[in-house]
Amino acid sequence: MIREILRWLGYATIVYFIAMQTYLVLLALLSGAALRRNHHLRRFGRVGEMLSSRTTPPISIVIPAYNEEAGIVDAVRSMSIVKYPRFEIVVTNDGSKDATLESLVDAFHLEKVKIPYRPDLESMPVRAIYRGRSGVDITVIDKENGGRADALNAGINAARYPYVMCTDADVVLDPECLVNSMQRVVEDRERTVGVGGNVRPLNGSRVELGHLIEASVPRKLIPRMQILEYVRTFLSSRPGWSWMNALPNVSGAFGIWKRSVLVAVGGFTRGHLGEDMDVTMRIHRYHLERGLPYRIVYEPSAVIWTEVPDTVRVLRRQRIRWHRGLMTSIKDFMSLTFNPRYRQLGLISWGGFFLFEYLAPMIEFVGWFVVPTAWLLGILNTTSLFWMVLVAFGMGLMNSLLALLLDESYGYFNSAADTSRLVVMAVIENFGLRQMTVLWRIRAMIGGRGTQAWGNMERRGVANLAKQS
Amino acid sequence: MQERIPQQARPGLRYSLVRTAATEIPQLATLVIFAVNAVLLTVLVSLKAWHRRRMARTVARGEEYTMLLSRHLAYEHCTDPITSEMAEDPAFLDALIDLRNAVSGDEIATMREIVRRHGVIERQVARLEAPFPLGRRLRAAVALAEIGDETSAPVLLRHLDDREPEIRIQCARGLGRIRWTPAIDAIVGRFGIEIPWVRARFSDTLVGFGSKATWPLLAYIRINHRYESRGPALALRTLAQIQDDQAVAPLLEILAEATDLEVEIATIETLGELGSPEATPALESRLGSPQWELRAKSAGALGGIGDPASIPLLVEALRDGNWWVRRSAAAAIARIPGGIDTLYEALDDEDHFAADAAGEALTDAGELVSARRRVEGGVSEDDERLLAHMGTESRG
Amino acid sequence: MFEKQERTAPGPGAVYPLPLVTEKKRILVADDSKTIRTLLHTALESAGYEVDTAEDGPSAHELGRDGGYDLIILDQLMPGLLGLEVVERWRSESIETPVVMLTGVDDDRTAVESFDLGVVDYVRKPFRITELMARIRMRL
Repeated sequence: MIREILRWLGYATIVYFIAMQTYLVLLALLSGAALRRNHHLRRFGRVGEMLSSRTTPPISIVIPAYNEEAGIVDAVRSMSIVKYPRFEIVVTNDGSKDATLESLVDAFHLEKVKIPYRPDLESMPVRAIYRGRSGVDITVIDKENGGRADALNAGINAARYPYVMCTDADVVLDPECLVNSMQRVVEDRERTVGVGGNVRPLNGSRVELGHLIEASVPRKLIPRMQILEYVRTFLSSRPGWSWMNALPNVSGAFGIWKRSVLVAVGGFTRGHLGEDMDVTMRIHRYHLERGLPYRIVYEPSAVIWTEVPDTVRVLRRQRIRWHRGLMTSIKDFMSLTFNPRYRQLGLISWGGFFLFEYLAPMIEFVGWFVVPTAWLLGILNTTSLFWMVLVAFGMGLMNSLLALLLDESYGYFNSAADTSRLVVMAVIENFGLRQMTVLWRIRAMIGGRGTQAWGNMERRGVANLAKQS
Repeated sequence: MQERIPQQARPGLRYSLVRTAATEIPQLATLVIFAVNAVLLTVLVSLKAWHRRRMARTVARGEEYTMLLSRHLAYEHCTDPITSEMAEDPAFLDALIDLRNAVSGDEIATMREIVRRHGVIERQVARLEAPFPLGRRLRAAVALAEIGDETSAPVLLRHLDDREPEIRIQCARGLGRIRWTPAIDAIVGRFGIEIPWVRARFSDTLVGFGSKATWPLLAYIRINHRYESRGPALALRTLAQIQDDQAVAPLLEILAEATDLEVEIATIETLGELGSPEATPALESRLGSPQWELRAKSAGALGGIGDPASIPLLVEALRDGNWWVRRSAAAAIARIPGGIDTLYEALDDEDHFAADAAGEALTDAGELVSARRRVEGGVSEDDERLLAHMGTESRG
Repeated sequence: MFEKQERTAPGPGAVYPLPLVTEKKRILVADDSKTIRTLLHTALESAGYEVDTAEDGPSAHELGRDGGYDLIILDQLMPGLLGLEVVERWRSESIETPVVMLTGVDDDRTAVESFDLGVVDYVRKPFRITELMARIRMRL
């Protein structure tokens, strides 16, 4: 009896992984088709047109900042020359304990003002508001500490324009990211409520004066692994989901939302560890439940660069935090999972998330014990086991290669060294690195003392980021 | 390879089938998958290598072409040759377009001459007229729009009906840059049937035509504003950008007849942008409208007209119950000559909200920063008041 | 920095007359667009000036400070430091070189601020080369 169970468990585990890889391959193919459609429309006079058109909607860039004195001024400065006709920058100082506020006030000659502040969203009390007018249209909100989600809400309250871009203080914007993403909004003003952008890891790339000069792949394994992960997600999953209007997550580092919609759903959830996925899903649900026409799209040519953890310690904290956020979201949106009432979102993307993102670490962890045991006991046929594992591994590799191929048209990572490092990573990540992340996720599920809401990374300040290997 | 045959093994068909499913299929699948991987890897590597080489070459060539064309622009009788080989190079076209966009005036004539001499237009027209591929057609349409040469006008006009929205946009854009007047009617005529974002781009194009587009737009608005609001509203905003005073009288008529709120709002905004005093009575009467949008927009428009006689009415609007109306009124007062002083006075208004609106408008008008600067030189009462009201201290 | 290349020497048909003084005037051109740098470099050299270029704010600032130029053409929007900020720094370092500001931005407020700082002229992009040349001749 037990032997039967073990046999089925053993095979089921392997089949599960094959199914997961198949889902990803199909998604990659769908994304490929979506990207091809997109491809024609890029870079065709669009920048010039949108810059000179009066119908281009203005945007408020909202940046939550906590203890960012190292790089906040440079970050704001580099954001201020993004190519867009009309925008403002709203920085929320989330009760920093360092000189974040002071450095902003000094650098941009800000004045404290008493303007009416419309608290459309709840947040921790606001202490003061500063405004400046020397070249950059910047507003700084000084408030008591409440976490990233809370800081975003305060920033949204002070934002004057109908569209809001939520981002972070340590990102490097591609100069055309706003034009490219707002193009999707302009295509369909009424239905488009959100646009997600493409986040790329900055590590190992050359950055000067807050601008990316050349992208390359670092030698260190940890950031390299993440580059591959990000390429897989952002090039071979999101375009497909976006085409189905089932994008489960608009990245917190680059998310453009219609302000009125954010207000309608109550903004970001304070203290939530995965506030970006949470708000995305809530906006989906809001519209689906009311039968309102809408779409949340992903625009791969709208690029921003961000520093990703480059040590195991920091990565671990980040992944535990992400997984705990995912756990909360899975619980909150359980009713959507595989629910036909929520159409592609419930059935395909959220269902896929639940099945292959949430359950995967548990199944894999159990599989580590079940499969070898079953094999040693002679319950599993060695030959078939061998080939099936190879199928799963091969498909995983195929997914990575497909992602790299889809990324090809964007023109990054052009040296032979870069390509080979990524391909090698696609192979070796299965031997230890992936297992490590699985362990962290199991740890996250067990719970206990979680990390602080923001998981402070040691920030080097974007402007000072030297070439890392 | 060891095989542990289960104790209840049943030799025969069923066993063979199961065995096949368990071993042969995965085996086959593995072979297929790794073959595909090998292909993908090869494609990836060669694509990257090819891209890199092409990138490097294109960038180098682009720089050469830029220098070459610059010399043609700078020296009246430049003898540097431009071969037909060069003229077919897409990098040459890019360099040409970049330079064309960087200069204006006489230099454009020089560029046009180079273009004509080397058959650039004909080549792009041929590409546009081809049925596919879309990418090349689109690039050709953009190139024609950017170069802005009259000889391409008939083609562009024809392709206003193209099945691809982006191509339609580029054609309209090109016609606007050429200022090809016969196209105006065609473009305005398409306002009603075009999809929204294409229509918005068409609107931008019409602005390029200037006052020649005024009457076609007015005609369109007059016919359609009772049946739909989006198109006419956009047409009205286009008129605002064209800044042709002749539109004022017809617009006042339209305002009187308007039944749709959005049309009314757009008309008011346009009258404000045109800034003609003839509109003042109609606007002032709408300051008392029951709808806050109309009150707010009228206030804003009066600011655009700039007649000091409107100030008293606007000061009343500062005390309006609606925040947006107050804000618009304050901003309007700031734009009118003498309004700044009125706003300083309003800082002392008993109505706390009115004072706030005045303070905010003063800040936006840059008064706060100037006040700080003046304070550093020597204090004035007005400046002290503003700084105090906004919660800032004077350091003087 | 721009590399000098073989080029046609200005002949009798050159549009812009060579200046009458024997010592060449030196001009700095700072703009992040390579096309504009190339164009201005070519045009100014054809008129007989000696031209250096810079592609971002900080290097423009450094070169302007140490280079002893007779005129500087500066773009308003450059990576690193905005044009106005560069001029502010120069003024505080007592560099009095006349500055002509290039801009694509339709911003009256910035124009007023820049005149306050001693920017002598303000040219919108796209510009006419002939006009720009005339303005430069006037300043030198």
